[in-house]
Amino acid sequence: YVTLPSYVIPSISNYFNSTCAQCEAGCNIMGRVREGRVLKAEGNPNSPINRGRMCGLGLSGVQAHYNPDRVRQPLLKGEAIAWDKALGVIADKLNGVKGAEVAFLTGNMSGHVQALLGNYMDELGSKNHFSYEAISPAVLRAANKKAYGVSMPRYRIDKARVVVSFGADFLGAWVSPVHFSQQYAQFRKGNRPEGRGVLVQIEPKMTLTGANADRWIAVRPGSEGVLALGIINALGKAGLAIPADIAAASKAYTTERVSSETDVSAEQIEKLAALLKERTPSLVLAGSAAEGYAHGSQNAAAIALLNRVLGNVGKTVEASASVPFPQIAPTVGNRASLVSLNDGLAAGKYKVVFSYGVNPVFSAPAALKFKDNYAKADFKVAFAQYLDETAQAADLVLPLDSAMEDWATVVPEYMVTPEGAGSAAYAQMSFRQPLMDKLYPDTRGIGDILLALLKQRKADKYKEFDDFYAYLRSAVLKNKVALGGKATDDDDAFWDETLSKGFLPMKGIAGTVSAKASASDLKLPSAAADRDYPLRLIPSISASMRDGRNANEPWLQESPDPLTTIVWDSWVEINPKTAAKLGIVEGDIVEVTSRSGTIRTQAYLFPGIHPDAVSVPVGYGHEAMGRYAKGVGANVFAMLDAVFDKETGELALNETGVKISKTGQRVLIVKEEGPVGGSQAGKKKIAVQVAADKVDLSKEV
Amino acid sequence: MSVSNLLENWSKFRHTHPVDDKGHPDWEAYPSDIKWAMSIDLDACTGCNACSVACYAENNLPVVGKEKYSHGQAMHWMRIERYWDETAGVGEFSADQGARFLPMMCQQCEAAPCETVCPVGATNHTEDGLNSQIYNRCIGSRYCSANCPYKVRYFNWYNYPEQENAWPSPLNQQLNPDLTVRTKGVMEKCTFCKQRTYTARNNAKTEGRPVQDSDVQTACQEACPVGAITFGNLFNPESQVAKQWQSQQVELTKEVQDKDEKEGNRLRGYRILEELRPYPSVMYLERVRESAV
Repeated sequence: YVTLPSYVIPSISNYFNSTCAQCEAGCNIMGRVREGRVLKAEGNPNSPINRGRMCGLGLSGVQAHYNPDRVRQPLLKGEAIAWDKALGVIADKLNGVKGAEVAFLTGNMSGHVQALLGNYMDELGSKNHFSYEAISPAVLRAANKKAYGVSMPRYRIDKARVVVSFGADFLGAWVSPVHFSQQYAQFRKGNRPEGRGVLVQIEPKMTLTGANADRWIAVRPGSEGVLALGIINALGKAGLAIPADIAAASKAYTTERVSSETDVSAEQIEKLAALLKERTPSLVLAGSAAEGYAHGSQNAAAIALLNRVLGNVGKTVEASASVPFPQIAPTVGNRASLVSLNDGLAAGKYKVVFSYGVNPVFSAPAALKFKDNYAKADFKVAFAQYLDETAQAADLVLPLDSAMEDWATVVPEYMVTPEGAGSAAYAQMSFRQPLMDKLYPDTRGIGDILLALLKQRKADKYKEFDDFYAYLRSAVLKNKVALGGKATDDDDAFWDETLSKGFLPMKGIAGTVSAKASASDLKLPSAAADRDYPLRLIPSISASMRDGRNANEPWLQESPDPLTTIVWDSWVEINPKTAAKLGIVEGDIVEVTSRSGTIRTQAYLFPGIHPDAVSVPVGYGHEAMGRYAKGVGANVFAMLDAVFDKETGELALNETGVKISKTGQRVLIVKEEGPVGGSQAGKKKIAVQVAADKVDLSKEV
Repeated sequence: MSVSNLLENWSKFRHTHPVDDKGHPDWEAYPSDIKWAMSIDLDACTGCNACSVACYAENNLPVVGKEKYSHGQAMHWMRIERYWDETAGVGEFSADQGARFLPMMCQQCEAAPCETVCPVGATNHTEDGLNSQIYNRCIGSRYCSANCPYKVRYFNWYNYPEQENAWPSPLNQQLNPDLTVRTKGVMEKCTFCKQRTYTARNNAKTEGRPVQDSDVQTACQEACPVGAITFGNLFNPESQVAKQWQSQQVELTKEVQDKDEKEGNRLRGYRILEELRPYPSVMYLERVRESAV
């Protein structure tokens, strides 16, 4: 420093509130800053989302910021150029191009950056904003909308006595995991009127949530909806009143039939029905494992019926609030959007394509031929922090600030329920502020770039804003009253207070949920055997690797997968029985082949997977991006068949059939566990078995 | 301090057995009024690894990369062990009840097996009940690691700042200036976030009051999404950790807890490998599974 700021005392840390950018949950964080450097992200204790807690992915955010492989200068066809030249090239390329010929591809978005993007698209006269997420609960949203009237209700795990989750990995990578972990802690500790909760997880491949269940049920892949109807049928037999339409739809699903179709024992189905009947309220969740099929929406609809039958709607499935400003409300991405962009690209509809925060060249299934279609556009601009696969295929790469250097506002899609009055209408806008000076002089924030592009077209309208910060501050202060301030509040004081809190609670629009799940047009196909590709591939989504966008953060690569304890590579999980039939042992390098592609990876024998399924984690196998991601593991996205959910058009992640063959090579798997695997040196059981009415943890300190 | 001074005053630096210490069992002669301890609720723990990553961020732990990891050279002071149910037979793992996760780090034993074997007294006991490691005294004999029943001591086989994987610039700017980056040839391990407890003690002293729970959290405890970790001063009866130990009837100076000898006892608290008599300072609470489903 030339002059030391008064709040900086050498050796004492300052904490600044901000918002995590590592996943969609939007946890509120505090950056620990010392002598001008951000050292660590910690949770903001006042946040109703994460209540001061963090996950490993969020903690690794500093490694995205300090990453040695960040793009540092604008690159035109690989050559470094100056910013004004780069923006000039964009203006040239847009010259004479019609609005309909421009496409803008982003991931999930919200807040004021989205508002600016909307303005820019309007100026271009383009309606082609595609919002794409490789892993998104798109089927869930559509099914929820039908069943409850809202696409993302509030789930109250903390209020439920029993949670039955059909593949929803709410402790790992589903929707808002740190928030759900808080609810789960209350659910387990039992210091609440409902007592200790019971978790049952139903899925073909064990997730982190499955590993924490009281009972993990391996269901035959794709038959989740059948099992849900079977449970309803069993509930009816046990004496629960079932609405007539649902009773009619589930009548044919007798326990014997369901047991043979789902591979879940009749005894287990009856036990589960008895538990659900006895302990209310319960909560039934449908997650990605149940939805990744051509009939994924049907599965989700059948599972939602259970909540209606059990009377959970309104109790543990609550209405969520929405923000009163549509232009900053979250736009949520899905796969269907990518398919429609891809079709347009294939038909040569788009001349200029922008992409921000997404990597479709890596994560699109090979069958879509996205890379070839992307090349057909005349001019491709990638806003990127890394030179990832998509940035490499682009003509112009614009280097972005890290999330710890940039301004933004974030409105999370999943609105939490805080304690206290007015919680039904609670909505929240979180602020992301720079935690330190820029590391590199030539990176820019996405808001600043959009503002510069807007000034190219409407200089007058935006001339009062020097930068995105000025725009953001003015936009927030203009709506001070709607954002919980008073008209008499001093602007500077309100702004400073907002930034020091890190988020603004808002009076949102309270929604309503309705128990209107209907069984009328439910069609659940029986699984057909595929003789050529007999095993079902379940691409697994881990809490740290997710869709692979954070693969270049070394803490995540070295953090063992919780279930297999493998590091720095991908693997294929095979049930020991299946492996024995195929003559495969741990560490065999195998070829996993589908109709659309082949990957080679190491075999890991895993008890937590159905014998008909194998599982490979997604997010590995980058061909670019950086030193920690490149060449680590194999990319399972590339071998997925292009099968889509019939109702939503979402990619059916679990619809790929595969076969496995040995290559004759073998490696020692690099993992945390030792040669004895999961054995506990003489101790056989993993937990104390007790009946819930006998266990009372609520008295514990 | 010279080595001759160290050798002459051996007993000052070594606790061989807490039961032999003066003042037992009331700890009257314990050199301070602080004994740091922890408890971990395995029923709440989800095995998510957040604690482990938080430890990397807080304690300047190097990333070693795949090859060194395969040689067992990972530097994770806090690691998660994962176990399967094996009731069906030896080596026959069942996943029906999920898995069992166990966060494992230095148990800060009162009679630490690592301390008595160090030829240079580089690992010894602090007055606030921690098993400390003095990096610049360590000569890298690795006897302590060999003698540790929990396998939680980690040796610096390389000079990590010079290794390509660990902190290539500008990743080194993330390093926590409150503690060192260890050099090649020394042993290291969990310190219960010494830099945090030290600051908390000094702050409390400045304010003329005893240390309270609200003064300090370890990095793993702070991150834990389910709040499974409790940390504090075991000698302060008001601290959460003391209350938990007491309610679970686990006592620091006993290798066989009274409660374990009573039949049908439902208390969940236990310490790992208690029977070896290292008197660990970490109590675990057993995982519970509902039998009705």
